[in-house]
Amino acid sequence: MKALQWQGVNKLAVGTVPDPELRNPGDVIVKVTHTVTCGSDLHLLGGYIPFMEKGDVLGHEFLGEVIEVGPDVRRHRTGDRVVVSSFISCGKCWYCDQKLYSLCDNGNTNPAITETMWGHAPSGCFGYSHAMGGNAGSHAEYIRVPFADVGAFTVPEAVSSERALFASDSASTGWMGADLGGVQPGDVVAVWGAGAVGQMAARAAVLLGADRVIVIDRLDERLQQVERHIGAETLNYERTDVAGELRDRSGGRGPDVCIEAVGMEAHSTGIQFGYDQLKQQLRLQTDRPIAVRDAIHACRKGGSVFVLGVYAGFVDKFPLGALMNKGLTVRGAQMHGQRYIPMLLDRMATGELTTEHLATHMLPLDRAPEGYRMFKEKKDGCVRAVFIP
Amino acid sequence: MRRTGKAFLIVAPLAAGAAVAATRRRRGAGSASRGHHVVTVYRQLSELEGAALPGSLKEIADGAEVTMRAAPGDRGTEIAVRIPDGSRVTDAEVRRALRDTRSLLEAGDVLLPSGPPSTVPTALNRPLQTATRHGREGGLS
Repeated sequence: MKALQWQGVNKLAVGTVPDPELRNPGDVIVKVTHTVTCGSDLHLLGGYIPFMEKGDVLGHEFLGEVIEVGPDVRRHRTGDRVVVSSFISCGKCWYCDQKLYSLCDNGNTNPAITETMWGHAPSGCFGYSHAMGGNAGSHAEYIRVPFADVGAFTVPEAVSSERALFASDSASTGWMGADLGGVQPGDVVAVWGAGAVGQMAARAAVLLGADRVIVIDRLDERLQQVERHIGAETLNYERTDVAGELRDRSGGRGPDVCIEAVGMEAHSTGIQFGYDQLKQQLRLQTDRPIAVRDAIHACRKGGSVFVLGVYAGFVDKFPLGALMNKGLTVRGAQMHGQRYIPMLLDRMATGELTTEHLATHMLPLDRAPEGYRMFKEKKDGCVRAVFIP
Repeated sequence: MRRTGKAFLIVAPLAAGAAVAATRRRRGAGSASRGHHVVTVYRQLSELEGAALPGSLKEIADGAEVTMRAAPGDRGTEIAVRIPDGSRVTDAEVRRALRDTRSLLEAGDVLLPSGPPSTVPTALNRPLQTATRHGREGGLS
């Protein structure tokens, strides 16, 4: 079958790979109809997560049709249109029972790598390096989905594939940031990053009753999407003193909840960006934590900071003093998609949550390298490139 | 910079961090010492007592001491394995056995990697391929 393969740092190509096989009795094979780029893929592409092998298939946010079913699968049959959580979870361990699905004990076939790096291993993810299980990704004609009864969800007829696609990861991740960040009615919420995840976090905060939701980015076309489709306020950090503006918009208190949806390749203005980029390029730190620093600094006393952006290792100049003395709660997670996808599909069906505007570019899989180039360089207003295999 | 050099610079800090973690573990500080491994399985002790040990844990039971006790807070059962002096059972075998046991008891199955593989061996990815071949045998459990 055809698939988009990682061929080396900043090198992608569409090639021919073996068709996937049922390996466990709870697996299904899905014919991928929609699969989309994610900002976190850029960390793999750029070599910042050094656990890729030449030939690995990328992609973790997808939707398709079940074409083959393992003998233990109960909830799905061939022909089902399903959206699949990007993290692979057994549904039976203690973590799954707590609805912390991305922490599943049984979904990562290579736990030794992350256990050694981080002390414990999170679950596996599709198309996201051998540290996350080495699972083949979704930028392909077909994909094997393990634990399908837990991680694949039938899409209601009322929801289009173009909308449901983003329940797979972006909408789940964003909702998790607002939910586990503790957004309450009346809160002021600030979101760093107006990509798909940041927009979905902002929309979740709006729907959870936040009084003001403010999204921060430097790309005007994304901020315009926020105003048009999300119903939140915006700040362009290249033209605004973000910290001062957030204080002003929260009566001097600072946002109650700050959600970081940027990740390890954050941009910024001024000396801070130069410092972090130099240290990252010299590999004196693995990640650029600019947005996390800003969120911790801006957050109100006793507030909550949720880290949605992907980080791999170590950062410098982490504002531990602000965290401690302001009594902040800082939390982060890979996404617990299985916890949110059914609810998100319901909200998509009612029209409360729309996502089609995120798919600024639809391309055949053959043009996926071009799609990633546009996405990485933010060309032509690209927010997300969707590939049709 | 050539890709090889860039890849090395990317891997180096993460490898250094992992080495620090491993060193910290070897020094003890309350963590499991070599020859002793433990996992918590989300099944009640009463369900496991008297039942046959599953799969690969049964295979190493003759060369290791297996004990079980209830985990606090309804978290299931702690299964501990100690390798006695002189045993031929290795730490890697115990880690794999414990992970497989947890999967079998909780999920009823042990997840297999994707296949067939789409990757090709290169000089750069050989260490990673070696690591993933032993992906259930290493780590800290």
